[in-house]
Amino acid sequence: MPRYKLVIAAVVLALAQIGLLSWMIAGRAAILRDGKEVLLKVEPIDPRDLLRGDYVRLGYDVSRIPVEMIANLPKGELTTAEGSIVVRLKKGTDGYWRETSAWLGAAAAPAAADEVDLLGHISNGWNLAPGSTIGVDYGIERFYVPEGEGLAIEEEMRKRNSGAEPELRGFGIKVAVGSDGTGQIKALMDGDTMLFEEPLY
Amino acid sequence: MASYATKVKNDIARWVASGLVDRATGDALVRDVEANERNGLNFGSILAIMAALLFAAAILILVAANWEAIPRVARVGALFAVIFAGYVGGAVLKERGHGGFAEALWLIAAAAFGGSIALVGQMYHFSGDEAAAVVTWCVGTAIAAAALRSNALTVAAVGIADAWLVLKGFEIFRRSEFPHLFVAVMAVFWALSFWTQSRAARHLIVLSLIFYAVLLGIHYDTLEVGLVLALVSAALLAVAALAPIPSERLVQLGGRLPLHALVGFLTGLGMIQIDRLDEQGFVMAAAVALAVIAAVVIFLGRESRALRWIAYLGFAFELAVVYLVTVGSMLGTAGFFFAAAIILAGLAYAIIRIERRMKPQSPQGAA
Repeated sequence: MPRYKLVIAAVVLALAQIGLLSWMIAGRAAILRDGKEVLLKVEPIDPRDLLRGDYVRLGYDVSRIPVEMIANLPKGELTTAEGSIVVRLKKGTDGYWRETSAWLGAAAAPAAADEVDLLGHISNGWNLAPGSTIGVDYGIERFYVPEGEGLAIEEEMRKRNSGAEPELRGFGIKVAVGSDGTGQIKALMDGDTMLFEEPLY
Repeated sequence: MASYATKVKNDIARWVASGLVDRATGDALVRDVEANERNGLNFGSILAIMAALLFAAAILILVAANWEAIPRVARVGALFAVIFAGYVGGAVLKERGHGGFAEALWLIAAAAFGGSIALVGQMYHFSGDEAAAVVTWCVGTAIAAAALRSNALTVAAVGIADAWLVLKGFEIFRRSEFPHLFVAVMAVFWALSFWTQSRAARHLIVLSLIFYAVLLGIHYDTLEVGLVLALVSAALLAVAALAPIPSERLVQLGGRLPLHALVGFLTGLGMIQIDRLDEQGFVMAAAVALAVIAAVVIFLGRESRALRWIAYLGFAFELAVVYLVTVGSMLGTAGFFFAAAIILAGLAYAIIRIERRMKPQSPQGAA
């Protein structure tokens, strides 16, 4: 048996690594399948990733949260500490979801039926003085596209959002939100039409 | 490695011909050289590993291209198949005595694991930081190295950790913490390298730690980092000089500890000098550097040609820097060229003299 010890070790190792990757995929597919859907207004920033290829970097309206929105603002602190933030979203009249309140750490009360809590991350050093805004990362700030298509989509988005052709609606991202608040991009929307929809796998 | 074996075999043949050793001893020596040569990396293994690295790069770039012609599920499935076939196929080859090809297949499997992490990120549009993905890859590779006792995977794990250090260390705009965890990771990998018998990994770890110190010095912009690096390296140099056999038994760097210590020392002093460019301590640091270089050549230079060349390089660098800072501001370009010519000529003379003095003594030492 010791002759095959190395082979057995290799099989266990391979299955463990494949298992970890499958678990990552299954978790994301579950959010796509079961998560609550929200539509967020978006504008592109700039593309390219060395390892994962072309992407469009996305900045959302909800990526900037006014300090007044934070319900549990720490007293006496001038800047933020690095950590998580929960942003409660509610559907606006135009179909886009917008922030209604936010908590550093965890939400004080569960969200109502027509609201969704989205989990984000803030870095340290944002100014907490009244009137300022803080930047939030939700982990949904990139949209990967086949090589070479990133710039075209981005330019189109920028043209629409600049209001050069006001009859056209801006771009939106449909996000699935898991029960723990993790956001997962589900579709890229051009007004009411769906440009890309993500398959589960 | 092969060139060393060939050289020794030529030497043995000459000794046998000249009657220095008898034929039986000569044959025994040749057999010993051949037996030990097989343990090292031979040319075929190196080519196999280079092929593996190319294949690995191809996998990663193919993932990055996000080619729509192959459906996602097929891409994931193909990568999973490469992971499985690479690890298991490598293990089978290792059992059959093809160590070099085994290491190559394992490298491909580890690359496919990294590629899969990137692919999952691409499929689900992760915008989380790359550093976290690299950590997952690094841990997975290190576990694979431990499970398979693989030399190449140990080196790969250290290399991936270096990539993580670069990603984190240069994240200036993200206001994140400096990755001090790197030192702990290197300590774990150092222990791992004894289990996987990877001397190459230990060499890379020492150089990585020196690189870490440089990044640390840049990040905090303080003198202390360079000072500590220089002092620790000087202490290691002293240990390597005074107790070469115990220190080698401890670190098992193939007798290259003084080499790394000298590189670390010169790097540390260089950091101090850059910090103190127009100040008092500069000349002091230069004097210390020159003194240590001279001491290294005298006390340790005999055993290692590489060490002597690092010492010469350090010496030339010191002279150039000292000249630029102290004199260069007053003289014109012609003066600089003149002085540089004299310095180079002097350096060449010194190197030739030293190299000649090192040479005739080695046969006496062997006899």
